[in-house]
Amino acid sequence: MVRRINKAAVIGSGIMGGGIAALLAAAGVEMLLLDIVPFDLKDEEKQDKKARNRIVTMGLEGAIKAKPPLFYSKDDAMRISTGNLEDDFDKLAECDWIIEVVVENLKIKQQLFARIDKVRKPDAIISSNTSGIPLKAMSEGLSAGFKEHFLGTHFFNPVRYMHLLEIIPGEATKKEVLDFVAEFGENRLGKGIVWAKDTPNFIGNRIGIHGIGATMKAMLEDGLTIPEVDAIFGAPLGRPKTAIFATSDLVGLDTMTHVMKNTYDLCADDEERDVFKLPDFLQAMIDKKLLGNKTKAGFYKKEIIDWKKIKKVINPATGEYETFDKVSFPCIDAAKKAKTLPEKLKVVLAGDDKAAKFAWKVLAASFIYAANRIPEISDTVVEIDNAMKWGYNFEFGPFESWDAVGVKESVEKMAKEGLKVPENVKKMLAKGATSFYKVEKGQKSFYDFASESYKPVKTSPKALVIANFKAENKVALSTPSCSLVDIGDGVYCLEFHSKMNAINKDMVDFMAKAGEYVSQNGVGMVIGNQAGGMPGAFSAGGDLAFMLGLAKAGKFDEIDSFIKTVHEGIMGVRYANFPAVAAPYGLTLGGGCEMCLTADRIVAHADLFMGLVEIGAGLVPGGCGMINLWRNFIMSKPDAAKVTDYGGFFLNAFMAVAQAKVSNSAAMARKSGFLKDSDRIVMNRDNLIGEAKKEVLKMVDDGYAPPLKTKIPVFGREAHGMVWAEMNNMKGGGYITPHMEFIAKKICVCMSGGDVPCGTLVSEEHLMKLEREAFVDLWKTENTQKMAENIMATGKPLFL
Amino acid sequence: MREAYIVQSVRTPGCRRGRGALAYTRPEDLLKTAILGLMERAKGVEKKDVEDILIGCAFPEAEQGLNIGRIIAQMTGFPDETCGATVNRFCASGLEAISLQAMRIMGGMCDVAIGGGLESMSIVPMGGNLPRPHPELAKTYPDAYISMGMTAENVANRYKITREMQDTFAFGSQAKAAEAQKNGKYKEIVPVEAVRFKEKNGITVKETFIQDFDDGVRPTTMEGLAKLRPAFAAMGSVTAGNSSQTTDGAACSLIMSGEAVKKFGVKPIAKFKAYVVAGCRSDEMGVGPAYAIPKLLKVAGLGTALDIAGNAIFEINEAFASQAIYSLQQIGLFDEKYYSHESDQRIVNVNGGAIALGHPLGCTGAKLCAQLMNEMQVRGVKYGVESMCIGGGMGAAALFELCD
Repeated sequence: MVRRINKAAVIGSGIMGGGIAALLAAAGVEMLLLDIVPFDLKDEEKQDKKARNRIVTMGLEGAIKAKPPLFYSKDDAMRISTGNLEDDFDKLAECDWIIEVVVENLKIKQQLFARIDKVRKPDAIISSNTSGIPLKAMSEGLSAGFKEHFLGTHFFNPVRYMHLLEIIPGEATKKEVLDFVAEFGENRLGKGIVWAKDTPNFIGNRIGIHGIGATMKAMLEDGLTIPEVDAIFGAPLGRPKTAIFATSDLVGLDTMTHVMKNTYDLCADDEERDVFKLPDFLQAMIDKKLLGNKTKAGFYKKEIIDWKKIKKVINPATGEYETFDKVSFPCIDAAKKAKTLPEKLKVVLAGDDKAAKFAWKVLAASFIYAANRIPEISDTVVEIDNAMKWGYNFEFGPFESWDAVGVKESVEKMAKEGLKVPENVKKMLAKGATSFYKVEKGQKSFYDFASESYKPVKTSPKALVIANFKAENKVALSTPSCSLVDIGDGVYCLEFHSKMNAINKDMVDFMAKAGEYVSQNGVGMVIGNQAGGMPGAFSAGGDLAFMLGLAKAGKFDEIDSFIKTVHEGIMGVRYANFPAVAAPYGLTLGGGCEMCLTADRIVAHADLFMGLVEIGAGLVPGGCGMINLWRNFIMSKPDAAKVTDYGGFFLNAFMAVAQAKVSNSAAMARKSGFLKDSDRIVMNRDNLIGEAKKEVLKMVDDGYAPPLKTKIPVFGREAHGMVWAEMNNMKGGGYITPHMEFIAKKICVCMSGGDVPCGTLVSEEHLMKLEREAFVDLWKTENTQKMAENIMATGKPLFL
Repeated sequence: MREAYIVQSVRTPGCRRGRGALAYTRPEDLLKTAILGLMERAKGVEKKDVEDILIGCAFPEAEQGLNIGRIIAQMTGFPDETCGATVNRFCASGLEAISLQAMRIMGGMCDVAIGGGLESMSIVPMGGNLPRPHPELAKTYPDAYISMGMTAENVANRYKITREMQDTFAFGSQAKAAEAQKNGKYKEIVPVEAVRFKEKNGITVKETFIQDFDDGVRPTTMEGLAKLRPAFAAMGSVTAGNSSQTTDGAACSLIMSGEAVKKFGVKPIAKFKAYVVAGCRSDEMGVGPAYAIPKLLKVAGLGTALDIAGNAIFEINEAFASQAIYSLQQIGLFDEKYYSHESDQRIVNVNGGAIALGHPLGCTGAKLCAQLMNEMQVRGVKYGVESMCIGGGMGAAALFELCD
C-alpha cells in the first residue's frame, strides 16, 4: 500500500509546534494541533471548550502572527484544527503522522507516548522533535509496533526558513518509515535531510553549542569583548551577520543554555566537556532573566537615550551594560574585501593581530571537535557540514572550512601548538588524502573515514547542481556576470553570478547572444542560479552604477538606447522560439522580478520575496515590469473584465509598484498577481533548477508555441484622474514626499497606457515607449540621482 | 404664498457601515421601512393621496440607483399615480428633498408629498463604485476631489481647533446619545426587519431580525479617544473617534399644504419656513454651516442664532468635530451651555450628533429633520434649525417653526 500523510498531528503549540504545523499545512496536510488544558481554569471554565483550548488557540495565533512569517499564506491556517490533550486525544487515531513537540522533559514525553501507543493507527508514524533527549529513553517499554514507527524528526527554528531536518532513527525503526519520512521531508516539506544518531543534541546542536561554548571560553581567556567576537565570527568567516552573541539573543539564552547543560549532563565522556559548563557571567545573566530579545536584554540591549537608540553590550567582567564602538581589526577589514569565503578564511588566518589569533584558536578547536565526533554522532563529514549550513546558516560547515584553510597546513600548525589532532584526520593525511572533499568530473565526493576512501556525496536526483555541470565543462557561453550552462537534454541555464546577482549591462548584452545560442543548439532555457544564503538572492535588482554614471555625464540618449536594448532583451525572452522558465527564490527584486515576469513560466521556491521596488531607487521599472505585471492582471480573464472593472485591476497593479510591495512567499506573490496560475511553487530550493528544467522539457513535449503578440487593453486617462486626485490627499496628509509623488504619477502614466480612453487596446511598443520616457525623465532629475546614489551607498531608500 | 407643513417625520435606526446591524439589508428595504412607517403614523392620509416621493441620495447608483424615488413607490404599494425622483446634494440630499417638496407645495403645484433620504454606505461605498475623477480637473484643481477627512484637517489647522477640543466635543456627543438612548428619546425611529447571513455547518443561511436602535452609540472615554491615531494625515488631529461614523439608514417626512392638512384632518408638527445653501472653499467644506445658518436666519428675518437661542434647538451635522466646532464658533453657539452633555440648557444636537449616531450621507438631511421634529414637540420650542456641511464646499440650512 502506498503510504500517505493525509492527516497529521502536532502535539505542543509553541513556536516550534506552530511552525511545524504551518509547514505541513502548506504542504497540503490536514493538521490537528493539540496542547494541554490550562492548569489554572476557574470552576466555571472547566466545561468551556474555548477556555480548555486556550493554550492551543494562543499558540496557533502566535504562529499566524509570527515575524518573519511562519505561514507561506495565512490561508493555510484553515487546514489546521485545534484541540486539547484531554478532549481530543482520540482524534490522534485518525492521524498518519504524529509529531511530538512538547516541553523537553523525559517523563512528560514518556507518558505522552504511552497514551499515543494506545490510540495510534497501527501504521501511523510517530516522531519526536526533541532537540536532545535520547529516543531510546522516550520509547522505553512501549509496544514493538510503536518502536517500529518511531523516530526523531528535529526541525530548526524558525521552521519555515531553516533548511535542516535531522532524522534520527530509533533502534527498531522500520527502514520503510525512515525512507518515507526522508522523502516526504525533502520533497513535500522542502527540507535538507541530515541523518543523525541517537546521541545527545544530535548533530547541529551538538556541534553548534560547542562552537558557542568554545568561543565564550576563548573570549574570556583572551580578554576579547563581545562585539569583537561578533565582528570576527560573523560575515567575514561565512557565518550569519548576527554572529555568536546576537544570534544567541535571537534564539533566547534560556534555550541556548538548556542545550549546553543537556550536553554537559549527558556527555560525561566528552573530551571538551568543560566547554559546556556555563561561564559565571552567563549563569548570572540567566539568574537575572536577561534572556535575549524576548526579555529585551541579553548579551546586547537597546536603550533609548535622548530619543536615540543606543546599543549596549554586557561586559562579562562586570555584568554591566556598556556602550561600544565599531570594531576594527586589520585582518577582518581585509577579509571583508575578499570575494569568496576560502579567500576570506585565508586572509583572516594569515593575519597576526588579535582577531587572527582568536579566529584560529576557535576554528582549530571546532575542527578538532567535529572530527572527533565521527563516528560518534555521524558517520560522515557530509552530515556534519550540512547540519551546520542548514541549521546554523553557516556558509561552510567545519570540514569545508578546514579544506578551505588547508588541512595539511593547519594540522601541522595544530601539532606545533600542542593541540591533539584527531586520529581519523591524521590517518587521512597519511593515506595521502589532503582534503575532505574533492570534485572530479562534476561529481563531488567526500573522504569516508570508515572505508578510508573517497565516496560520492549523494544528492537527490531531482537536485541538479549548476556547479557540477560547470565543473564538467558544460559552459556554453560566459561573461563575468553570467553564464549559459548546458544542464542536459538540450536545456540551457542562464545563470547570473554578479554581486547579489544584480542585472547589469554585461548581462543585458549577453541575453541576446544566449537566446541565439539556445535557439540554434537547444530546446529551451532555464533562468536560474544557486547562490547561497538564506533566503538568498535570485537577483536583488538592477545595477544602477552604469546608468547613474551616464546620468551624471548628461548622456540621457545613451540611457534611452540602453533601455531599448533592455526591452529587446526582455521581450526577446518572451517571444523566443523556445520556452524559457524562470526559477526564482529568495530576493527577486526589480530587474530580477522583471526577468521572471517575462518568462513563459515561473517555477518558484516557496520562500520568494518578489516585487518591483524601483521607486525606492528613484525610478520606475525599466525592464517591461510594469507592462508584464499589468498584463498578468488584465489578461488573466480577458473577456470577463469589463471597462467598469479596470479600476480595481489597475489600483492593485499600480499600488504594487508605487508602494514597492514585496511578497513574503511565493503563495503571496501569486495572490498579488506576480505569479500566474500556470506558475509552479516548489518547496525544496535544492530542486528548483531540476524542476524548472522538467518544466521546460514538458513545454517542449507539449509542442511549445511562443505567445501571440497581442495588444493590451489599458485603463488610460481614467487612471490619471483617480491617481492625481488621491495623490492630492496623500500629499495633504503628509503621507508622500514630492519626488515620490512625481515618480508614482509616472508609474500611473506607464501602467495606464497614457492619455487614452479606458479600454483602449495599445501595442507593447506604445507601453515600452512610455516606460522609456518615464525612465529617462526621472534620471534627468537631481532627486532621482540622489536617491539612486543613496541606495547604492547604503542599501536603503531615501525618500525625497 | 401657501404654507407647507411637516406632518410626520421618521427614520430607521442608523447602524455602522460594514459591521453594523443593517450592513446586509438592501437599501431599498431600509427606505421601504421608513416610508411604510411614515404612512402608518400619518393617520388619515392614504398612499393614493401622495403625489410624489423625492429621495435624497449621495451615491445614487447600484442597489440605491436607477431612480430610487420611483422604485420605492412601486415597492411599497403606492398607486401608479404617485411619482418619484432622486436628488443629490451629497450630505444635504435628504434635506434638499424635503425642501424641494415643501417649496413645490408652497408654490401651489402640489398638496401632499414625501421627501426623504437614503444611504447604505455598506452596500454602495462612499465615492461610489466607479469613481472617475476628470483627468484634467484632477491635475489643475485636485481639491474638487479632496477627501472629506483632509478638509476636516484643513479646518482644524486653519482655525486652530485642537485635538483636545475635538475629542472633548466627540465625547460629549457620545454622552448625549447614550443618555438619550437610555431614556428612550428617539421616538422618531421605526424598527427595521433586517437580515444577516451566517454560516452554519458549512451552509450560509439568511436570518431576519428586528433592529430598533442606533448601534454606533458606545461607551467612550477621553483616554480612549486620545489614544486613536490620526485617520487622514500623518501628523493630523482628526481621528475615527472625533469624526462622524459611516452609517446605513433611511428617513422621510410627509409634507402637506395648509389646505391638505385641513382636508385630511391631520395635525402637523411644524411649518417649513426656509431653506438656503451657501458656498465655500472645497478644501474646507466643513465650514459650510457657518455661512448657511446666518444666511438662513437673515432670509427668515430672525437676526442671529443667539437671538433665537432662547426658543430654538439646532441640529448641526457633526461630519467632523473640527468643522462642527468651527461652525458653532462662527454662529456664536460654541458655549458649553448650548452644546455640552452636562448642560441642561443645551440646544445644539441635544440628543447627540453624527459622531455617535452616524452620518448616512444622503439620508442625513432627512434623518436630522426627523430628530428635530421629535425633539421640538417634546420641548415645545418654537424654532428648529437644521444645517450641515457639504462635500465640494457648501453648507445648507433649513428653518422649521413648531405648530401650536
